[in-house]
Amino acid sequence: MKSLAKQDTQPRPRLIVRLGVFLASHHILFSVICCSAGIIALFLLPSLAKNTYLSENALIPGSANPLFSTEDGIEANRFMKGIEAVAGDSIGGIDMANFIAQQIEDLGAEVCYHKFLPHSKHFHPLKFFTSMTNDMAIQPNGSDINFGINTIGIVRAPRGDGKEAIVLVTPYNSQRVQSNELLSLALGFSVFSLLSRAAWLSKDVVWLSADSQFGEYAAVSAWLNQYHNPVFLSHTVTLDTKMYGANHIYDGSSENKGFKTFKRAGTMAAALIFKIGETRRYGDRDSVMMYAEASNGQMPNLDLLNVIHYLAVHRQGFRVNVAAFSSLLSSAWLRVIAEIFHTLGSVLRKINPDWKLDIVVPDYVEGAANLANSIYNQALGVPTGSHGAFRDYQVDAVSLEFSPTFHVKNENAKSLFLLRGGRLIEGVVRSVNNLLEKFHQSFFLYFLTAPSKFISVGVYMIPFALLLAPLPIVAAALADGRNMEKTVDELIDDNKADGITDILQSKGGSWKWLQAAKVLFVIQLWAVLVSLIPYYITQIPDSTPLQSALIWIVLSVVILIALYVIFGSPYSAGVEWKLLKATMITSISIGLGLMSIINFATAQLGALIVIPMSLFSRPLKASGMSFLPRAVLLASNVAIAVLGFPPAMLLIMKGLSKGSWIGDIGDFWVWMEFLWEWSSATYLYIFLVHLPCWLLCIHVLLHPCHQPAEAKMKQE
Amino acid sequence: MAIRHYWPTAAAAVGFRLVLVLFGGDLHLASRPEVSTPLTSLRRLAEGYWLKQASMSPYSGSMYHGSPLLLSVLGPLTNSRPDGHHAHVYSSLIFVAVDFLAAMLIRATGQKLQMARNRSLKSLDLTKALNNTANVSAGDVASLIYLWNPWAIVTCVGSCTSPIENLMVVTMIYGACSRLAPLAAFGYVMATHLSLYPAILIVPVILLLGYGPDAPPPKLFLLKGSSASKSDVPDNDKTGRLRGVQQFSWKPVLHFLFWLFIWTCYVLLLSSVVLKEVGGLHDMFEKTYGFILTVKDLSPNIGVLWYFFAEVFDFFRSFFLIVFNMNIIFMVLPLAIRLKHRPCFLAFVYTAIVAILKSYPSAGDSALYLGLLGLFANELAEMQFTFFLFFGYIGVSLLSPVMHNLWIWRGTGNANFYFATGLAYTCLQTVLIVESVSSMIKHDRKLRLLVTS
Repeated sequence: MKSLAKQDTQPRPRLIVRLGVFLASHHILFSVICCSAGIIALFLLPSLAKNTYLSENALIPGSANPLFSTEDGIEANRFMKGIEAVAGDSIGGIDMANFIAQQIEDLGAEVCYHKFLPHSKHFHPLKFFTSMTNDMAIQPNGSDINFGINTIGIVRAPRGDGKEAIVLVTPYNSQRVQSNELLSLALGFSVFSLLSRAAWLSKDVVWLSADSQFGEYAAVSAWLNQYHNPVFLSHTVTLDTKMYGANHIYDGSSENKGFKTFKRAGTMAAALIFKIGETRRYGDRDSVMMYAEASNGQMPNLDLLNVIHYLAVHRQGFRVNVAAFSSLLSSAWLRVIAEIFHTLGSVLRKINPDWKLDIVVPDYVEGAANLANSIYNQALGVPTGSHGAFRDYQVDAVSLEFSPTFHVKNENAKSLFLLRGGRLIEGVVRSVNNLLEKFHQSFFLYFLTAPSKFISVGVYMIPFALLLAPLPIVAAALADGRNMEKTVDELIDDNKADGITDILQSKGGSWKWLQAAKVLFVIQLWAVLVSLIPYYITQIPDSTPLQSALIWIVLSVVILIALYVIFGSPYSAGVEWKLLKATMITSISIGLGLMSIINFATAQLGALIVIPMSLFSRPLKASGMSFLPRAVLLASNVAIAVLGFPPAMLLIMKGLSKGSWIGDIGDFWVWMEFLWEWSSATYLYIFLVHLPCWLLCIHVLLHPCHQPAEAKMKQE
Repeated sequence: MAIRHYWPTAAAAVGFRLVLVLFGGDLHLASRPEVSTPLTSLRRLAEGYWLKQASMSPYSGSMYHGSPLLLSVLGPLTNSRPDGHHAHVYSSLIFVAVDFLAAMLIRATGQKLQMARNRSLKSLDLTKALNNTANVSAGDVASLIYLWNPWAIVTCVGSCTSPIENLMVVTMIYGACSRLAPLAAFGYVMATHLSLYPAILIVPVILLLGYGPDAPPPKLFLLKGSSASKSDVPDNDKTGRLRGVQQFSWKPVLHFLFWLFIWTCYVLLLSSVVLKEVGGLHDMFEKTYGFILTVKDLSPNIGVLWYFFAEVFDFFRSFFLIVFNMNIIFMVLPLAIRLKHRPCFLAFVYTAIVAILKSYPSAGDSALYLGLLGLFANELAEMQFTFFLFFGYIGVSLLSPVMHNLWIWRGTGNANFYFATGLAYTCLQTVLIVESVSSMIKHDRKLRLLVTS
């Protein structure tokens, strides 16, 4: 009677708890459904892309007639001839810089030089995190012979207060001059000369002719670094002598002395990098390639791309492209998927005309190829051009690469091209000039499937969220498996007198996962150490990539063994594999969640590998399944575990892309070096999220599985 | 069951702190909003000290909002800067010592609680149940949690004065547990002087001094007594059991109040001496307590108030100030009634609530209550959602800097991103409090079942 009365008083678990219990008890079905839905949604993304639109009203692109006329084209030709002559008989890049400076000064604009050293390669994987802008600019001193010179021209806005600036960048290699680079310099100069006469400017215009002998990015980032980190020294005299020890290059002419002081304009509203490409594809129209991906998947505001696309296509008749994976364009399987989606989409369209999912097959294939490239570039975390340097200072920037269809010697076509190119750049400057605020209206987080089609964060998050959704459920089901059953079946019994012994025996049960957390802690510690080893390996002089990689691997294994000796091996403490797996899954969901904020594309690609790996993992020795499913699970486990090992993954990627299956561990080192040189967060992801997960997976697979049985025996 | 390798582990924690302080270089922790608040920042303290040296009020401008006593203790240390170390290395060394001291006091408190627990369980004849269960030494666990808590380490290394505030709170609890009224009063006065919010801890302190440390509900002892009297048990045994029920003893409480008065006068006197000719006590109250209560600084922190008061219309501001400040007061009485037999646990709940609702919360506050949580390791062994809470705390503490970076440095996020982590953090803390209180109540209920069966 007493127990019955107590049963009545015992409240039923709340709805949300019951829902959670329901999901947890069907977690396998739930995770299979969610994962497959996530992958399908990922493939559906190209059909979900929307057309871009201008969000910021102040931009009004193309509202004014372009002022760039044939006379400016003639100016460009004159400049081109001049600089060709100088480039012909110059020994270094100094004469060209002098020539450009002279031309700028003749326009009545301000001019200065900026000298910089090549960027030294450093290992600082966390640099992206500890604000990049705090480094001091390194100045070349007298002893350095090998340095680059940027030439900077500044037009002060007649109508502005000098607080904002628009930056135009034309890279050229001062050591190895090419005609197309000279053409882009000429284009830049002619636009600059037009702007120096413009009465409508309300923002300063800075023209940076960047000396790209050490790479475009190095030149631009060195200049930006000095622009944003002013050096305050009390002794201007020492500054002069120390920093510009190599005075001889300026020939001591009195007017050029003014060029030495570094000049600045206001904060940068936007930056436009343009160059005229070498390769000429003979198509029907001149085309412009847009590059926008900056470091760690950051993109410029979509409005900037919209303005460029609008002006280039609708005003100047260019064809605008974004980079694509060309191998995907001709792939048969993608075409099949496109056909399927098209058929499904047309069926859906019949049901509801508002569902416009039936995009035509070529569009889908092209969209997918562009999207894949967009995701890949963002996931790599390495900027696709010098615009990346601007994004580190929160300046929206985009690189344009013109691909003219004429021959360089064809004067008529060239002047027409200059006219259109000049008008395009003028139009963009004019639009940005109209801005009253920083770009903020449109999207920062998006993928491009075409120059005028984008997928915003709200849409592309869905596949990722679907992939991630089963993780907490499965973790809860595994970690709390026994408790869950208890809540369902035994909750009512708890208050019975004979339940008391149960209560006592289960004491401490809710803290059992602490052992698994300890294993996780050890493995994470190992991962941190492994990710830091390269800093010391890079100090070894004259080591080949293969040697470095081998040292790295050997040290990693040694550290792992040492940690196990110190903290005890994971199996000695008798951790249940379910708890281990739950811990792994939780750590992965934290890691992926974090990474999706830092760099979404990396998290998306990583989730495709890590999530199946963690969800399917099951000890090889675990019993309780019939032969066939167990064999399938076993095989898939082993396959995924091999796939998940970063070097193996790299080899497979290389094999797929290049067709060469010859493995070299040195490649892995080179690849990693590439990532940390660009301070890509992907490096951190691979070593702090992916690698520990892979190792934990191996631990789960090799779990001896006898502890629970023993424990049961003991209980009985 | 004592923890194996207690001393090596504790020493390693101190060593780790020292390594970080001496060789960690500049970790820029002091500029993290999670670590230092306008109230605790050592950089602000250095500024206040400089102002005072220049014969100005340290509170002029809106830089310093701390105690004038800290100014004269830590101020001189902020002035000297040894080569090759970051600016506040001497103060950081002091904080390492302070943290260690706090951990030792937590350990001593834990031992007192353990003794009290054993005694009361023995008088309830539950020693068998006691031996069956995992009986860890709570003081060791708690002090190790405090020493190795990453947030405590970050707070200690990150040049802010939170370790001293935490030490004062721990001193108060230790003093009250061991019935040292002067010590408890000193801790209470200093903690309140430094950060105001510990003022509500007067309830648990008085309960501790009056009833003694945590014990099962007094009803149990009566129950046991009555069931024992039914079955003919000798009288002396019965009285022995009834002795477990503590009567409220006024003597230590009055003693405490007396010392409270003395220490208050003393602290005020010292403050006025420090602030002599550079602004008076009025200035101090306005710029410390006033600053805390009126939430003047709206720079982001891990709490939720900055966002709210940045959004709220000006003419509602005073209303919501009252609401938010009263919020803490509202919870004092109900909790005190429900948990009056466990004053130490009550103190933990209060510190956790303060850490959620205070105007400038930081990781240091959480470090304190998480350390105190360890004191109840035995009672809370069956706490639910521990897995979720543990990884939730890890997730939030990793997410917070990333969101801040996205908002402030990269510009692709906005204030909502950072505020979202603040909300998640507050939810986690709320779940922790709710779960710990309910499992403590469950524990009491279980004891009753064991007694009656």
